[in-house]
This record gives sequence, C-alpha cells and structure tokens, in this order.
Amino acid sequence: MFQYFPIPEFWKTLLASLVGVLTVVGIMRRPFRWNEAAIAMTGAAILLLLGLISFSDAFFTLIRDWNTFLFFFGMMGLSALAEAAGLFDWLAVRAARLAGKSAARLFLNVFLLGSLISMVLSNDASALILTPIVYVLVTKLRLPVLPYLFACTFIADTASFLLPVSNPINIIILSRFPLDLLTFLRLLFLPSLVLIGINIGIFFLLYRKQLKGTFEIKRLPSAEQAVKHKAYFRYTCCVLAAVAFAYVIASATQFPLSLIALSGTVLLLIGGLCWKRTSLRETAKRISWSIFGFIAGMFIVVRAIEDTGLTTVFGNWLIHLSGGTSFGAVMVGTAGSALGTNLINNVPMAVVMISALGGIQHASPVIQHGFVAATMFGCDLGPNLTTVGSLATVLWLLILRQRNVDVSGLDYFKVGVVVTPLMLLAGALTMWLLL
Amino acid sequence: MRVLCCLDGTNVEQVSKALRELWATQAPTLGILYVTDTGPRHDIGHIRERFLRSPGPHGPREHEMQQAEHAAAQDVLNEALHRLPNAETLQRQGRPEREIVNVAAEWRADLLILCPRAEYGGKPTIGPKSVGHVARFVLDHAPCPVLLLRPLAREQFPIDR
Repeated sequence: MFQYFPIPEFWKTLLASLVGVLTVVGIMRRPFRWNEAAIAMTGAAILLLLGLISFSDAFFTLIRDWNTFLFFFGMMGLSALAEAAGLFDWLAVRAARLAGKSAARLFLNVFLLGSLISMVLSNDASALILTPIVYVLVTKLRLPVLPYLFACTFIADTASFLLPVSNPINIIILSRFPLDLLTFLRLLFLPSLVLIGINIGIFFLLYRKQLKGTFEIKRLPSAEQAVKHKAYFRYTCCVLAAVAFAYVIASATQFPLSLIALSGTVLLLIGGLCWKRTSLRETAKRISWSIFGFIAGMFIVVRAIEDTGLTTVFGNWLIHLSGGTSFGAVMVGTAGSALGTNLINNVPMAVVMISALGGIQHASPVIQHGFVAATMFGCDLGPNLTTVGSLATVLWLLILRQRNVDVSGLDYFKVGVVVTPLMLLAGALTMWLLL
Repeated sequence: MRVLCCLDGTNVEQVSKALRELWATQAPTLGILYVTDTGPRHDIGHIRERFLRSPGPHGPREHEMQQAEHAAAQDVLNEALHRLPNAETLQRQGRPEREIVNVAAEWRADLLILCPRAEYGGKPTIGPKSVGHVARFVLDHAPCPVLLLRPLAREQFPIDR
C-alpha cells in the first residue's frame, strides 16, 4: 500500500517494527489458541499488504532458504518412515533388555539412545517419537515415569549439536554462516559430549531414589514384536545407515544436507510403498505442514525488520557487549540466544539471530566462529530451561498455580532451572577453550 | 466400616499386611483404588507444542499409550486382589491426589489408607520431604480419617533432640 503512497522512512520503520513485535507477542501468547503458523503468516501478510516488504523480496527470501525448508521436510519424513518400520520401538526394547533388570541402567540407556537418535535423526525424533515409546515402556515395567520422560526431553536438546543435522536450527544458522565440518565438530561436538555427561550425572543425582529399583524382564515385549515387517525393517536400517554416512560426507563437502534427507525419505517411502507398510496419505499425515508456514512467515517478518536496520542495531549491540573478545562472543551469543529462545521459540530466535549477526562478517574469524557456534548452542540447548515452551507459558502456569489450579509442566521448569544454566555455562566455557 | 486403600504400584504388600494386622478378627468392606496419573501425558502434550505440533501423539501411538496405562492399572489391581480377594476394585484417571479424595467421598469411605510416597527401592526416608505431594494433599483434603502407612525406619533413630 505504502509503495503507492510514499510515507517517511521513520513511519515505515515504526510500522514494520510494530507488526514484528505483535507477531512475536502473538507467538508467545497464542491468543484464542491460534496456531503459531497462522500468527506468523498473518504478520507476513500484513507486511506484504502494507508494502513494508515487496512480494519479490519476500519470494527471494524464501527461495534463498530452500535448504532449510527441504531439510525440515526430509527430517520429518525420515523419522515418520523409520517409526512406521518399528525402528524406535525395537531400539527402545533392545535398550531395556540391555539394562538387565536395573532401572538405573535403563535410565542410562535411554540417555544413550536419545543421543544416538538426536544425532542422526534430529532432536524432533527424540522428543516427539522416542518420548511416547519410552512412556509406554516404563509404564509397562511399572517404573516411575517422570525421570524417563525428562531424560528423553532433555537429551533431545543436549545432543542436538553433535552434528549439523541433529537440530534443524543448526541448518537455519549454517545456511547463512557455513562452518566447515572440523570447525563444527571442534566447537560443538566436543562440548556436546561434555554436556551429555553432565546431563546424565545431574539427572542421576536428582532421581537417585527413584532409580534404585529393578524391573521384571517378563513385562518387556520381545524386540521382534516391535518389528512389523522384517524386510522393510532391515531395508530401513540400511537406508538410515547410508543417510548417516552421507550426512557426514555432505557436511565435510558443504553439500546441501536437505538433499540427503530428502533422498533418504524418498528411498524409505519407495520401500514402504513396495512392502505396503505405509501409504502417501499416512506419511503425509505424520508430517507437520504448519511448520513450513511458520518458518516462511517468520523469514518474511524478520526480513522486513532487517530492512529497517533494527536487527543490525541489535547485532552491533551484541558485538559491543562482547567487547570484541572471543570469550565475550561466546558468552553473549550463548546467553542472548538462550534467553531469546525462551522468550519466543528457538526457530524465530534463530532467524532473528542470523539477521542480527550480519555485521560480524567484519570481525575476526575467531569472533565470527564464537558467535555462530554460541548462537547454535544457545538456540539448541536454551529451550531446556523452560521445556514446556517459553517463559510466557511458564508464567501462565505459575499464575494458574497461584490460583490453586493444579497444573503439570512446572516440574519440568523446576528441573530446567536447576540443570540448564549449569549446562549453558559449562558448554560455553568448553566452547571458548576450544575456539 | 468401609476402608479405601490407595495403591501406587509399589505398596500392595505393605497395605495388605497392615490390613491383616488391623482387622485380624472382623473384616471391613475394602476398596482398592489405583489412579493413572495423567500429568505426564499433559507434559508430553506441552513438549509437542514446543516443537510446533498438535498436543496429542499420532493416533496408533496414543492408543498404545492408553493400552499400556490400562494394562499397568489392571496389573496393580490384580496383584492387590490376589492378597485382598474380597476387595472392590476402583480405577480412575487424572491427578492422583484429587481423584483419591473425590473417590473417598463418592465411595463413602470411613477410612483412607495410603503410603507417604511410592518407594522404588532403597532405604525408607524420614524427615522433611518424606511425605510426597499426593499424600500431603490427601492429608489436607480427605473427607475421612487417613491412615498413613510409614515404612519401619527404627534404625534411623534416635534423631537429634
């Protein structure tokens, strides 16, 4: 609209910022239980209609990030088809059998299994697919549910920077600020190993009383029961092994990871259709399509704000806060991303951060690497602080509790507040030492 | 007398032993209650929302979770029935502390029996936090007298005077 009626830049900046802020507040509060995707798309639509971003600019912004969209699609497809093959159920039963009868060893195995799944299939697979499977398993075994549930949720995030594919947030950030594989492994894989160890140690300390018991092996289903079709199961294992190998090669050669994920999905889908283990409709139902709308909306909103120069100001402020040192870059990047990710959600925070960090290209490589790695680290691990979503959700839960309405979710917050700051600090220090 | 016994999956033996000792001659009307806690299910929903998904897991998985909960509840009640053959079984879903006090009122219990918290092995504890949030809520809100079955912990005495 304002393309046809020229108005001063100041008012354009003010309007774009207002729409951006309202979009972010809407995502935080979700009025009338609106879907986040609907809110982000509405924000983008308003900006387009007001002419605060041109259609061509919005289009090219989305096209530029094709790798992110395709990776989300491939990642969800791989997880959905691996689930259809019974892989996660099989792994969970194997983990339980390997634990002997010990609740504590099963707890450790859940951590290790969650790490493996997060590393290869991303944190979504651990948090969304493994969690209900572990819930069913420990319910059958008559073990306390909460420690195992926390283990799945926390390890999904703690192990989500082992590889670039371990969290789609990494792909969003790496698409704009590529890191070679060795630098990624040095700055994020090693801290991740340290943090997985710390996470396991603290959780064993927190839940030491609930983990003293044993379970009866006879309550466990056999691993074979989890596999519905042997040939498809073996085929899935082979495809996933090949995908994992290809991920490493692609990360080393800067080949788009989305194409590997997408190829794996296509291969698994062909197998699933041939062996009649899934259908296109069934697979499509398991993919969260609204995520694409959410990311697209956020990319456009942030692009419009970027044009106003506000994100550059934010980025310069971050660089100023860091004092131009590698230590400052790691600490400011970690704290800023972790706090932001709890205020909104880690996807919009990552989009805001990549826009804000545009100015670091003039900084030294050490500072650049420090900021990029710390942003990934903060956005990946930060959500563990509240886990139930964002600070807004937690504040709402606290208000409900004050009104004597008993709500779940606060247990997560209590554990997150104890564990996450320690892990953020330990991870940031390890990363700084490795810079 | 109508006695409602609250099971947590770890206390069947303790409850049945207490009942045998309390009513060696005259048997009361017994009810045994097991509540499936829906809190963890809500938490799974919150986690899914954080990952921008609908709160409920995929259809078959949801069904599998319900089946596991139902089977575990039946298992606990059957184990209790084995020791208390004439008891009436009651199964509920929800927040355990609230379900227990509501069932006690509906079932017109004269006495409620429960343990301070589920014990998954290890030494029984005394002192602060030895009474879990469920037992604490029941003690505060029960519509009838409550018998709290504490495990024997004499070896932890004397405590500081």
